Order: sequence, then structure tokens, then C-alpha cells
Amino acid sequence: MTYAFIALFGFAFLLLILLAWVLRAPKRVSRPDAAVGLTEFSDRTHVTFFPQIKQALAVQDSVYLASLGMNALANRVRKERRKIALAYLDCLRNDFQRLWRLGRVISSMSPQVGTAQEFRRLQLGSAFSLRYEMIRIKLLFGFAPLTELGALSEVVSRLSIRMETAMQDLGERAALSAKLASSLDGRGLDVS
Amino acid sequence: MTSMPLSVQSVWACSILSQLIALTLLLLKRNASKIPFFTAYIALNLCQAGFMLVLVLIPTVSPGIFARLSWLAEAITLLAQAVATTEILGLTLRPYPGIWGLAWRALVAVSSLVVLILVWVSHARGIEQVWFQLNRGYHLTFATAVIACLALVRYYSIRVPSAFKMILAGFCLNSCVEVLVNTLIQVLFHKGYEVYQAAWQIVGMISFVATLTIWMVALWKPFPVDDRQIASPSDSAYRRLSPEINERLREINEKLLRLWKLEARSE
Repeated sequence: MTYAFIALFGFAFLLLILLAWVLRAPKRVSRPDAAVGLTEFSDRTHVTFFPQIKQALAVQDSVYLASLGMNALANRVRKERRKIALAYLDCLRNDFQRLWRLGRVISSMSPQVGTAQEFRRLQLGSAFSLRYEMIRIKLLFGFAPLTELGALSEVVSRLSIRMETAMQDLGERAALSAKLASSLDGRGLDVS
Repeated sequence: MTSMPLSVQSVWACSILSQLIALTLLLLKRNASKIPFFTAYIALNLCQAGFMLVLVLIPTVSPGIFARLSWLAEAITLLAQAVATTEILGLTLRPYPGIWGLAWRALVAVSSLVVLILVWVSHARGIEQVWFQLNRGYHLTFATAVIACLALVRYYSIRVPSAFKMILAGFCLNSCVEVLVNTLIQVLFHKGYEVYQAAWQIVGMISFVATLTIWMVALWKPFPVDDRQIASPSDSAYRRLSPEINERLREINEKLLRLWKLEARSE
């Protein structure tokens, strides 16, 4: 009985905190009717650097340096390349977040947001975060998770493809409406 | 005739006065036509107060009948509250039918989950406790559903008129305080319903007066004309924006496709 009361009390208190959180002004409001800061969605995606990262994380260079007896140099190279891989990972996450925000803006512009699509996007976001953290931990512990890194890059690419499909849908719908409106205008009909 | 402590009567009078001011503001500022269900909710609350007054003044009404009729009147106003809130949420999300579709599904899912949890944790003994727990369960479900909707609105960065935001905040605040007070009072005074009835009534009414004050501030000015529109073909910003984003996405895509092809060849 007491546990139930504590749970209820805690839940109500949590709701009050959540209420304050949802009502506070957002730091930056994305306005669907304005130009949504297109500079943010620049074409500089870091996925393109994956082959270089793949090469940097490959063991051949370290093995070669170690075979020459330069163990200290091999270690230094490994550490520095790991740092680069971590930076790449961060950039990949930024790419993903930019696309994610873009998806949200598209959703708020679209009159037909598919529930299944939105859930898929949430699912994709969770999968990305999980993979990101796994790869990051692996890199921090000195492993070279190339396969996972490749998969993560693929998630970013899949999202961008989905965004394109969504934008195409919007574009087609807009074009259809414009066509319809112009044909009605042409017949001298008042559609207002 | 059911007796009522003077303190309860005073707060009750304050509550009625606040409701009258809120209703007057709704009518004077011509907001009533924009939110008819909310106006009906305020009017129903006033009717409920009148009904309660009549019940208090009738000497032949037994406490049992008084309690049952009071709960019945409360149930009607709570139903009106749900309708009024749906109206406000509908007005907020009307320009975004897709998101509204998502919102009501989220609302149903969250509400069902909370109801299930409440059924599991509630163990009522006697009719008074049943009413009491039903009331608390309703408020908890209501607050959770509204907060879930507001979270969705925030997630999609939808601009909500501040007056609507204040009305929804008022509803949520009232429900959360009701749940907190109900639970706290039940824990502190577990001897029986009669013991904590006056304290519960006072705190509940004070919370409602606070809510009404928030609403009065929200209703002080006429609601702005809703200029929010989803991007239409005539919207020049959208027409400029859409191909630009599309083009950039295509560029990313082409780069990625080139990369995959390269990777496939190397493997």
C-alpha cells in the first residue's frame, strides 16, 4: 500500500517536472514556414572519409612499424589514429543529427506524417545511438571496430535516402496541388 | 443539510468568483466562439457549483446521497475537461494533420498504459475510496496524456499560441496537484475519508483557483488569429526550400552511392 502511494506521489511529482520541461521555451525554434537555416544542412558529410578511416585503423601499418622495432612509434601512431577515428565518429553523429533535425522539419511541413515512418525514424535513432556508444567504447579500449563503423555509416546513408523519399513525396504533392490550382484558375473558377 | 467548514466555504466562494471572471473574459474578449468546449467547461463548473449549493441548502439530503451526487457532478465536469483539452490540442495541431494523427495514437497508448498501472496499484475499500481513486486515476491519466502530447509538440518544434499553452498548463497543473494532494492526504490521514475531507477540499479548490488565475491571464487578451499554415504550393518559402533540401540530399546520396560502389569493388 505504502509503496503504491510513494509510486503515485513520485509519478505526480515527475509529471510536474515534465510539465515544466515541455513548457519551457526551446533554445532554438525551427520554424517550418521559414527558411530553416539551410546552412545547417550543408553538403559536407563526413561519411565520405570512411575509406581513409578504414585505412587508418588497419593493423598493417602498426605491424610494419613494430617489425622494424619501432614499438613506441607504432603505439603513438595507433593512439593518434584512434583519436582521428573518434573525431570521425563524432562527425558522423553530427551528420546524423543534422539529418534527423531535417527529418523533423520535413515532418512538421508535411500534411501526412506516417505513424509507422515516424516510429521507424525513432527506431533508427535509437539504433544509431546504441551503435555509436558501442563503437566509441571499443575505440576507447583500443579496438578497431571497422565492421561496426561501416554499419554506422550505412545508417546515416539510409536516413538520408529516406529523407529524400520524403522530400520527393512532398514535392510531388505540392506540384499536384499547384497543377490543380492553376487548372481551376484557367477555367475562371473561384476556389476561395 | 450537509455542513461545510467556513474555510471550505470561503475558498469555494473564491473559486466561483474566479470562474465567473474567467467566463466573463471569455465572452467579453470574444474567445468563447474560438474555444466553445472550453467555455462550456467553465460554464459547467459554475453549474456544478450552483448544484452543490442547492444540495447544501436542502435539509433532507443525507450525506450519502450528497456524496454520490457530488461525485456524479464531478464526473460530468471531468468529462467536459477532457473534451475541452482535446479541443485545445486539436486547435494547436490542426495545421499538422499527420502529427495530430500521431498525437492521438500516443495519447491513447499512454492513457491505456497509465490506466492499467493504476488498476494494478489501486485497492479500494468502500464506495468512497472507489470514487476517490477513480478521481485520482483520471487526473493522473489526463496529466500524463496531455504532457505526452505537449512533448510531441515540442519534439516537432510546433509553435503553440501562449494562451493555449497556459490553458493546457493550467489543466495539467491542477491534475498533478490533485494527484499529489490526494495521495499525500491519504497517506497522512489513513483513518478514513471523513477525516481528511475538509483538507482535501480546501487544497483541491486552492489549486483550481490557481489554475483559474493562469487561465484569466491567458484569456485577458483576445486570441491571435491563427496564421500558422503548413507549407502550401503558394508558399514561396516552401517552394524555394523544398528543392534546395532535396538537391542537397541528392548530393549526399550520390556521394554515398559512389562510396558504397567503391567499397564493394575493393572487397
